[in-house]
Amino acid sequence: MANTVIGSSIVIDGEILGEEDLTIQGTVKGKVTLKENLFVEQSGVVEADIETQTVTINGQITGNIAASDKVEIRSDGRMVGDIKSPRIIIADGAVFKGNVDMDV
Amino acid sequence: MADNGPCVIGQQITIRGNLTGNEDLVVEGRIEGTLTLGNHLTIEQTGVVQADVETEDLTVMGELNGDIVAHSSVTINADAKLVGNIRAPRVIIEDGARFKGNIDMDVDLPDSVTPKTR
Repeated sequence: MANTVIGSSIVIDGEILGEEDLTIQGTVKGKVTLKENLFVEQSGVVEADIETQTVTINGQITGNIAASDKVEIRSDGRMVGDIKSPRIIIADGAVFKGNVDMDV
Repeated sequence: MADNGPCVIGQQITIRGNLTGNEDLVVEGRIEGTLTLGNHLTIEQTGVVQADVETEDLTVMGELNGDIVAHSSVTINADAKLVGNIRAPRVIIEDGARFKGNIDMDVDLPDSVTPKTR
């Protein structure tokens, strides 16, 4: 499967749109809209509103997430913002502040 | 688990009012009101709690409707359904759990992560 990696020295200020998996190791500010999986690695810093299918967070995210499938905050992940997704998983050790809406 | 260990509120029991205690508590029945506990609170799959809860540790496998303050940790298991706001230093949500509300982990966030208002 095609896969895009934004390296750890890359800073993007703007909008990312796409229909394939995206891995962020660098810094992204603005907006991310994907139809596939988004991975934020430990070195990744995202200050953006995110709309995608799944998000896996090992790094830092500030912004709101709308995921059509699931959001997973791993133990190294830090997230501030609101999450709207049918499945949300928060691991022990993860840091999160915000609102969760699973459509309960 | 219920042999000689923690205090258990059985499946056929409903408590309305305030419950305060300083030992582990397992809820298999129903509680409406407020619940203040110094130890570990476990809401079993059959348990239904409609109460504001203050406790040290909380494990939810059943249904909980109310605001939660935990001094140590909150674990929401895969079978749980929880509506309310959580304030705890550690919050764990398993895959399959259903949750709606606000989470405040009360930890110092790094400078690069600042709350965003919109």
